[in-house]
Amino acid sequence: MGTYDKSISSGSSSSSKPPDQIDSLLSGAGYKVRSSELRTVAQSLERLDNVLVNNYLEISHHLSNDAIHYNPSDLFSWVDSLLSEFNQPVPMPDQSTLSDPAYVNTLVVPTLDPTVNAGVWTEHHAAPQHGIQQQLTVVTAMEEDPGIQLVHVLMTCADTIQRGELSLAGTLIEKLQDLLTRVNTGFGMGKVAGYFIEALSRRLFSTLLYTNRSVYESEFLYHNFYEACPYLKFAHFTANQAILEAFDGHDCVHVIDFSFMQGLQWPALIQALALRSGGPPFLRLTGIGPPSSDGHDSLSEVGLRLAELARFMNVRFVFRGVVASRLDDIKPCELQVNPNEAVAINSIMQLHRLLNSNSTHNSSIDFVLAWIRNLNPIIMTVVEQEANHNQPEFFDRFTAALYYYSTLFDSLEACSAQPEKALAEMYIQRELCNVVCCEGSARVERHEPLATWRVRLSGAGFKPLQLGSNAFKQASMLLTLFSAEGYCVEENEGCLTLGWHNRPLIAASAWQAVAEPRPPLEH
Amino acid sequence: MAGSNEVNVNESKRVVPLHTWILISNFKLSYNMLRRPDGTFDRDLAEFLERKAPTTSIPVDGVCSFDVFDRATGLLNRVYWAATENEVQWGIVEPEKPLSTTEIVPVIIFFHGGSFTHSSADTAIYDTFCHRLVNLCKAVVVSVNYRRSPEHRYPCAYDDGWAALKWVQSRPWLKSGRKDSKVHVYLCGDSSGGNIAHHVAVRAAESGVEVLGNILLHPMFGGQLRTESEKRLDGKYFVTVQDRDWYWRAYLPEGEDRDHPACNIFGPRGKCIERLELFPKSLVVVAGLDLSQDWQLAYVEGLRKSKQEVKLLYLEQATIGFYFLPNNDHFYCLMEEIKNFVNSSC
Repeated sequence: MGTYDKSISSGSSSSSKPPDQIDSLLSGAGYKVRSSELRTVAQSLERLDNVLVNNYLEISHHLSNDAIHYNPSDLFSWVDSLLSEFNQPVPMPDQSTLSDPAYVNTLVVPTLDPTVNAGVWTEHHAAPQHGIQQQLTVVTAMEEDPGIQLVHVLMTCADTIQRGELSLAGTLIEKLQDLLTRVNTGFGMGKVAGYFIEALSRRLFSTLLYTNRSVYESEFLYHNFYEACPYLKFAHFTANQAILEAFDGHDCVHVIDFSFMQGLQWPALIQALALRSGGPPFLRLTGIGPPSSDGHDSLSEVGLRLAELARFMNVRFVFRGVVASRLDDIKPCELQVNPNEAVAINSIMQLHRLLNSNSTHNSSIDFVLAWIRNLNPIIMTVVEQEANHNQPEFFDRFTAALYYYSTLFDSLEACSAQPEKALAEMYIQRELCNVVCCEGSARVERHEPLATWRVRLSGAGFKPLQLGSNAFKQASMLLTLFSAEGYCVEENEGCLTLGWHNRPLIAASAWQAVAEPRPPLEH
Repeated sequence: MAGSNEVNVNESKRVVPLHTWILISNFKLSYNMLRRPDGTFDRDLAEFLERKAPTTSIPVDGVCSFDVFDRATGLLNRVYWAATENEVQWGIVEPEKPLSTTEIVPVIIFFHGGSFTHSSADTAIYDTFCHRLVNLCKAVVVSVNYRRSPEHRYPCAYDDGWAALKWVQSRPWLKSGRKDSKVHVYLCGDSSGGNIAHHVAVRAAESGVEVLGNILLHPMFGGQLRTESEKRLDGKYFVTVQDRDWYWRAYLPEGEDRDHPACNIFGPRGKCIERLELFPKSLVVVAGLDLSQDWQLAYVEGLRKSKQEVKLLYLEQATIGFYFLPNNDHFYCLMEEIKNFVNSSC
């Protein structure tokens, strides 16, 4: 083993710092490596280099086509996993975590055009963009004065609301409405500003802040949001892939869906399970949905249709609907989990609804995470909006929402299908309104970013499962089905995000309960 | 490949600090996996493996960044500048006001490297580098996302570079200066980015657009002939002649060879630039352990023969990518040279 050049090394590798520190030099380049592991990583890279040199063609082919890569930021594990592909032992005697990449069946999406070339990544040539680009700095392609002023005054208004100067805020709303007449409100900044002005007006003047919406209406708008843009499809696709992989080798499986919403996610999973090698398992699906006001039982209706599909595919299947307004209203025994089945918890944009304003005392989320953990699921798939809409100060929330939703609306400009697009916009507008207008228990859209969820879920006794390169490839393939270019899938330390023009808008992650002795389930 | 691989690896370990060795070896390893022998490229896996950095609205070392959509190219470029009080307060940039009315603020258009194939403006290593340039030169940096090969071959990268230059020149908010307010542009690039900077500078000079200086960091040039440095250093310091060939085949039009004028600037098919009076002065940085150095030195010689002003910075013990991490003397030497080069005109 040669010695390395003793040029100036980073401060982090000096002896005064504890060896467990993440090396700061490499971290600036996007890689997380512990200082203590630097030499091991170097040796592993050296080894791999030798292996590749001798067997270049076959190995390269294997590595890029068959191997599944996980979390490239974690260099130690990534290089390690490559080494174990070739049965090369890890150099250091005290490290023994040889990761074992799972070889999985890929998820089959029934509607996928078989001629789509999954290997080609189309460059992002975006449709004309008029909205705000990034957090806190605005440079619009239009560079129109009224547009810029709109943003400026919106933020000022939010600031005055925060400071409690409500009559001044009212004046600003009038000014905003006037400015709005001078811009095109049919698209871009004008349209987005219109929504925010309306939300602010409601907050100031309306006594009826929270209207009860029928379940049918909510599901209808959700369905259109699903059709008009790829965010929900990405969520379902990615979660299904992870669940499929987790269910490998299990004959009795049980999926618990926290928000059934007409079961859009499940036909694909049923099909994938039907086609998996070794045959399908016995699949139980429990769908949780809110009570309907008109007595219409949509849970059972959809459940029946899924059962028919499963029967057609020769998958033994049972569906159960569980009605609950809130997740923390559910008693775990209602879910009827059997000890011999492998459980997958699927939460698409639901966990944030359990949060409150108090970051230290979040009893609802803690309660739910605790019973989830007690069910000992082999996987919990979590998809959340990648936004910071639960900050304590109103101004900060408003600003974050302004940039998040303008990006989201912007991406929707690329959709041409009507009325899906208009209805999808309505869906988004309601969400936005909740963030801006509502407070207390009425404000359910309490989005928090992936980094915060990581901390919360780790603290609640979950460890992350990596979403690997095959899930990434699948997600990328999904995007090529859309004519709009500008969407981007990114890998973020084992999680995947989907965004518009480099701004991630939705994040998908997978978790598993950390093994520890638990008290018996109470029935 | 000359010499056994063990010998090669040991050699590179002797001259390169540990962190740099890990970083560049990691790139080499992943890039090897992405290039297919049939000339295609695994773009999906490349995007998955690439470490990217987000823009920073909250200043990092006093520097903020944001992405801007350029309608002409359909691409997002990234702008870096020093945070000002106004921005932090309201988070809004006035697109009409110039950068300064009292002093000159240089605007450096940066073309990232990656042999025309890898990386983008938001790749972490380049994002960091651009951040550094802002503070070093008290400049604004615009990092260009040019279209990459093999999906987009010559001349796409040059067209995108030229479009970016025109875009920068026409932004009122990038102007500076007391008497004569204009955009003070420098072009800078490493590897393929350096190659792009040269070609964009030529086009600018031909079109009467002023560029104040070119900074080329081990620019990517080549030719049909195998030079002495290529033979001597093949495979020794992370780079092989074989991979260079692959990238040229991926970038140049199909069927072309490496004497194409995009690649071999002053070769048999090269363009004469002697009469280009507007062609900027150049700072060419050559790493002494880069196998392409003979081509880079030939470029410098070619500039001199064309009566163009050029300064050569030859760093004997440097390998490619020495400027990614601030852990070696070459890095600091380079930073000093760039600072002087950009400030001397202002």
